[in-house]
Amino acid sequence: MAAAGTLQRTWAASWRPLTTLVVLIAAAEIAQRAGLLPVFVPSPGQVLAEAIQDPRLITENVGQTAWRAAAGYGIAASIAIVAASAAVLVRPLYGPVYNLGVTLHSIPIIALAPLLATWIGNGSQLQIAIAALTSQFAMLVGTIQGLRAADERQRELLHVLSATRLQMLRYLLVPSALPYLFAGLKIAAPSAVLGAITAEWAGADRGVGAMMLYALFAYDPPKVWLSVVLTCLLAASGYGLFAAIERVAIFWEPGATLADQP
Amino acid sequence: MSRDIKVDHVTMVFEGRGQPVIALEKVDLHVPTGRFASIIGPSGCGKSTLLRLVADVMQPFAGSVTLSGVSPRKARHEHAIGFVFQSPTLLPWRTVRQNVELPLDVVGRKSTRRSAKTPDELIELVGLKGFEGALPHELSGGMQQRVAIARALVLEPDVLLLDEPFGALDEITRQRMNIELLRIWAESGTTALLVTHSIAEAVFMSDEVHVMSARPGRISGVVDVPLARPRTLDMMRTQNFYDCVNRVRDGLFGRDAEPAEHGAGAPVEAW
Repeated sequence: MAAAGTLQRTWAASWRPLTTLVVLIAAAEIAQRAGLLPVFVPSPGQVLAEAIQDPRLITENVGQTAWRAAAGYGIAASIAIVAASAAVLVRPLYGPVYNLGVTLHSIPIIALAPLLATWIGNGSQLQIAIAALTSQFAMLVGTIQGLRAADERQRELLHVLSATRLQMLRYLLVPSALPYLFAGLKIAAPSAVLGAITAEWAGADRGVGAMMLYALFAYDPPKVWLSVVLTCLLAASGYGLFAAIERVAIFWEPGATLADQP
Repeated sequence: MSRDIKVDHVTMVFEGRGQPVIALEKVDLHVPTGRFASIIGPSGCGKSTLLRLVADVMQPFAGSVTLSGVSPRKARHEHAIGFVFQSPTLLPWRTVRQNVELPLDVVGRKSTRRSAKTPDELIELVGLKGFEGALPHELSGGMQQRVAIARALVLEPDVLLLDEPFGALDEITRQRMNIELLRIWAESGTTALLVTHSIAEAVFMSDEVHVMSARPGRISGVVDVPLARPRTLDMMRTQNFYDCVNRVRDGLFGRDAEPAEHGAGAPVEAW
């Protein structure tokens, strides 16, 4: 009964976007067949045919990009969360940590990737490093904002109870940071995928980015489009994974007691 | 055990933009052990600041605050202070029971300082039996504030500080909550200090009403309330009650500022 309810809710939430997607794909297919689109824009059918024709194209490249993005993301998450916590807990660190985060985030990756390749080589380590660089900022900002999200009254409450700094963190700061942290984690997931793909352009033999580059140079529009679709799917599933975890983890209504303040 | 509250010549200055603002000037206040006192005054008279000085959330610029001879800091470290805020200030990820248990989590369950009543008994005392597992956002504002009161009582504080605890509630709920609060206070035997801006509420609740004036914040008078306990709503219709209300009003506005025919028998303003 409960399972049926969940299924029904999922369907209720997803039929609209699904319908939109199907209609758009159908429209593109029809437009291409009617000759309304330029020849270098393939129809969705052609892109799909490409995927069916050579499934190894997908399995070999998607896996590579996925694990590199995930590794970079994981490293960035650990460093960003630790650095952000330090920045909030130790006042003098706040400025330097934030500034470093912004600076790293401002570097044009397309130029950095080849530069970094000459330094650390163009193997997986390059894609992992770039994925970490592109995804760190959202998690850094999310954690910093989150750890400062507890309101003044809640802090006073713990103060009157003579809570230690550690108890303050455990009972107040960390739980109230979680919604912000999840916002950061969700935004960072697609960034890590895009970072890994951009890094693959600097010379990787496998990966969705490499596939994209080869297809571009080989003037193979259906394959380019396939790599674009794969990129979107990877990025979206990264986002979806953390959105799903968030749904379970954040069972309360963030800011519910704040709203009651006159 | 309960403690008295002694505020001695306290001055509080805030560094405003450019120039310092005197929030409190030479404030004296004494609440004897086990009494229910209230502070009333216009907005910005520093009554909430005064309460926070007693709770050691802030420290006075000059003068001293003591709770049965010890500093607020020491009393706070001894977990002798219960504080109820204007907003319920519950932790939204904790259930009703977990919110009431928060002080026990902080102090450690083995501590000797804990109420004779269990969290569940306190939840029953504030009328929330059956809601132990509910999350704050599932409760109404009044119910949330009851949880806050139960939480403030779980360590059996010697001093209970209340900062306009029912200010955000509707009148009907507010009256009911006041009567409940008095019942709980009488059972606990703690010294209570209530900040309010309702004259009727101050008189109904208290043994003594400290009237404050603003800019700078000062105590301008103290009104003793000779009404018997337990207080009932019927008492609000007695001559005694009106006399007290009028004396508080005189303290707040001065006798001359009073409109002419506001004598005994006229309806008292809303809470």
